[in-house]
Amino acid sequence: MKIAIPLITIAAAVLSAALHPALATDEPYLQKRAAMVRDQIEREGVTDSRVLAAMRDVPRHLFVSPEYRSKAYEPYPLPIGEGQTISQPYVVGFMTQILRLKETDRVLEVGTGSGYQAAVAAKLAAEVYSVEILESLAVRSRRTLSDLGFRNVVLRQGDGYYGWEEKAPFDAIIVTCAGGHVPPPLLRQLRNGGRMIMPVGGPFMTQNLVFIEKDAQGAITHRNVLPVAFVRLLGH
Amino acid sequence: MSTGAPRDRGDPVSEDAKAARVVLVVFFLSAATLANEIVLIRLLSFRFWPHFVPLIVSQAMLGFGGAGVALQIVRRRVERSPGRLFAWMVLLAAPAFDLAFRASQFVSFDPFLLLWDPVAWPRFGVFFFLLAVPFFLSGCAIAIPFAFLRLRPGPVYAASFAGSAAGALVALPFLMVAPTGGLLRLPLALGAVACAFVLSDKGGGLRKGRVAALCAVLFLTVIPPADLKLSPYKDLAAVRNLPGAREIASRFGISGDYRAVFAPGVHSAPGLSIRFAGEIPPQATLFADGEQRGIVPKDGGRKPPAYLGYFPAVLPYRLFEHPRVLQLGLRGTEGVLTAAANFASSVTVVEPAQELVRLVREDLSGFSGGWPRSLPVEIREEGARNFLARDRRIFDIIEAADISSATFSSLGVHATGETFLLTREGIRAALARLGEGGLLAFSGWLKAPPRENVKILRTIRAELSVARLVPAADRVAAIHGWGTFSVVARRTPFHPAEIDRVRRFCSDYGYSMVWPAAGAVAGGGAEERALREAVSDAMTGPPGERGTELFDLSPVTDDSPYFHRFLRLRTLPEFKRLLGSQWIPFVEWGIVFLVLSLGVSLVLAAMLLLLPAAFVRDGTGKAATISVAGYFSALGLAYMLVELTFLKAGILVLGDTIRAAGLAIGGFSFFSGIGSAVSGRWESERAMKRVFAGIAVCVVVGFVIFSAAASPLLARGWGMRTAAFVATLAPAAFLMGIPFPAAISRLAAAGGSAIPFAWAVNGFFSVAGASLASIGALWLGFRWTVVIGAVLYVMAGLLFQRVGREIRS
Repeated sequence: MKIAIPLITIAAAVLSAALHPALATDEPYLQKRAAMVRDQIEREGVTDSRVLAAMRDVPRHLFVSPEYRSKAYEPYPLPIGEGQTISQPYVVGFMTQILRLKETDRVLEVGTGSGYQAAVAAKLAAEVYSVEILESLAVRSRRTLSDLGFRNVVLRQGDGYYGWEEKAPFDAIIVTCAGGHVPPPLLRQLRNGGRMIMPVGGPFMTQNLVFIEKDAQGAITHRNVLPVAFVRLLGH
Repeated sequence: MSTGAPRDRGDPVSEDAKAARVVLVVFFLSAATLANEIVLIRLLSFRFWPHFVPLIVSQAMLGFGGAGVALQIVRRRVERSPGRLFAWMVLLAAPAFDLAFRASQFVSFDPFLLLWDPVAWPRFGVFFFLLAVPFFLSGCAIAIPFAFLRLRPGPVYAASFAGSAAGALVALPFLMVAPTGGLLRLPLALGAVACAFVLSDKGGGLRKGRVAALCAVLFLTVIPPADLKLSPYKDLAAVRNLPGAREIASRFGISGDYRAVFAPGVHSAPGLSIRFAGEIPPQATLFADGEQRGIVPKDGGRKPPAYLGYFPAVLPYRLFEHPRVLQLGLRGTEGVLTAAANFASSVTVVEPAQELVRLVREDLSGFSGGWPRSLPVEIREEGARNFLARDRRIFDIIEAADISSATFSSLGVHATGETFLLTREGIRAALARLGEGGLLAFSGWLKAPPRENVKILRTIRAELSVARLVPAADRVAAIHGWGTFSVVARRTPFHPAEIDRVRRFCSDYGYSMVWPAAGAVAGGGAEERALREAVSDAMTGPPGERGTELFDLSPVTDDSPYFHRFLRLRTLPEFKRLLGSQWIPFVEWGIVFLVLSLGVSLVLAAMLLLLPAAFVRDGTGKAATISVAGYFSALGLAYMLVELTFLKAGILVLGDTIRAAGLAIGGFSFFSGIGSAVSGRWESERAMKRVFAGIAVCVVVGFVIFSAAASPLLARGWGMRTAAFVATLAPAAFLMGIPFPAAISRLAAAGGSAIPFAWAVNGFFSVAGASLASIGALWLGFRWTVVIGAVLYVMAGLLFQRVGREIRS
């Protein structure tokens, strides 16, 4: 019996891996992921336990190309092709936390990219609608999300500037690609009481985020929020 | 002309004719090499970013240095048949100008990954190595005549300098006639001419091989040029990737490569107020060397789009009715349309890039609908500082183009770029052109911690204080939106009613007023507090530099015009301590690449210079004396420090970088070439003492005169400015051409074994000199950098008499 339990465990793991190719490669990364969440996310000020759990669950390494898998849990952004990047883990955690996602929320993501942010959001919300303008990225991230069993993420290729009118309104909107302005169509598609977050910066850096809230009456307020780590630079 | 060089078999031509042909080959090959350097600056700026420019100089000179090392190592073999090797180096160098670049495009190399991905380094090394190949081959070819063929170094070096001057001068007009992708045809063609001279030399054998090499060169000149592969992070690459993107117009010329691309997925409105609920019309995006330069809204000329009234940068238009507007820098049609949408009475745009002006005004007129009919628009094609000095008109609003962008100025890509408009002298010149109540306006992206806005406020305050327009704090207003800021300043204090208008504007559009201070802001986070404190300190705090700040926010001057350099090297450990793993976004990449190129060149120099001593048992160790190393390293460092500092300072007076580069490199090469040609007359130790003293004096005096004359020269015509620039560098450049061939002659007289080593040392330290020139300009200023160059020449002078003597003994 003592031998049987580990054997069953191993058999189950092998079977699981065989049935789900994505999980086959997850084991070596579990520790890295736990360390990432502990050292880069939690220690840097992201304290929402649901966000931390989601980031511990989502295998980030499967959202980057094989050549970068070993670096997937390092504290920096990585290229995903087409001049796009997967944000550094801390920024994903920070943006997700500030949106205060609930299990009943309908979320719009503009700029699917690798699909990682959508996966993290999907762990916390009811539905995630994600729009990606570049076809190659849309195809790849759709496959990754599907392989990983994310059934509550719906993805389409198109211009995210116009949001997803048919699925609006949204409780939360995440714009993952840095933009020069807040698209008016997205503001219209944000539900009263909704939240929206958008980064400001270049492909390999996020120095600044703009957080927008729509109150119950539809009035919009915005404020710049600084990732907690960067606040130290200001001496506050 | 020959002095007992080893003979190639079957050489029937006279020694003089052969020497003359070698000199001609050196001339054309040097022209090709210099032209290659100039076109690579454009090509790599287009493919990557301008911070690759120091790398170009680096790999050029590293190739030369490597050539010296290689020749030293295989010296015995070369001595057996130098003519043959010379011919083959020329024949291989010519096609290499094209092939090396084509090959480099296959290296998938991402400069952004260098800081954290070790895999990026080998790729970077391969990329660097490939581009160095043609320089290595030409370096070998140019060194062989005086190191092995034993031609007199003066004429050979003079031919090299003269060829470089010709290459620089030919490259400039070529930039006007050849599209960016085809620029490498110039070095290829010049290389082909050099090949033709070598081909007619019957010595050296392998005639069929030579013909094949020449055919390869000719083949490369007729096949289509390589498609330029842009970094995927370039703005142009990103927009081209969008579905439905198409190029609708393009121009090229001396100032750059300009393209207009229409893509339905582009919706550019940086900093647009969230109160704007309308539609943004379709837009064409303008790119200069692949970076976004402006926007052209479709049919905007027929009716200026409504969104143009919803930016913080519109603030000056809310303070002045029907202003006469001066815009420094053409931002597509958006700048002019913004003025039109906000009821300007006239607009004058100053833009030095002629090609950009033509693209916007002529090629895109159908798309844009032209300029608004109701608004008189004048475009002046000249440098902003030249216009401010020359034109005596008065304006109500003077707008500088955006002084920071959301992406690349954050990354510090432009940290090493000269910005003469944002210096104290530039602000002074702009303030002088303002009429009663006129406003000087700046806008840009917000950063945390704040940088550009605080630095410009400190500069404005310093200049207002010098003009006794105090307190400066009463003459400034600053606001910000969710992502951008706007600063306005003027010579007279703002009235309370005007401050109320600023406040109302902020309230209407969802902006925040930062200055005059409006007390605490509800909901303001750490970033808001930091911004307000920084602005308040800039306006009312003690003047002068704050040594304790993480970033350097002190005003810059024309002597070190690097507005976008914020990094203090000494605070880097503090960044790491404060930010831990998140420090990378704050690194200024331009400076990283500069320091990187210096480090690479020093490490490679140290490694490669030790190679001959370690592996060659033929007296190299004896030849490579400390005096030889010291002398030629000082020359390499000093020449680049002086030449590049003149180049950088010349940008202000000459109006743009590429003209300054052409004239500085061409001018120095031309006059140094003359110096080299006559160097035989000054080879005595006594005469050389005077030469070195003369260099030190001419360098310093020439630069001081040029700096002092810069301000009055700005208002003069192109011819006068060019003449003055060349006149101030000519005496120094002439004398600077003498020390190298003079010392090579001494080494030749001592047996010549150390000549390749000297060539290598000079090449490697020229690389270090190129990087040090930029580092000196960034942190010490132009004048001190030139002084260091002069001191290095004096030090070289002290070593001159020992060069060759130790080897003889």
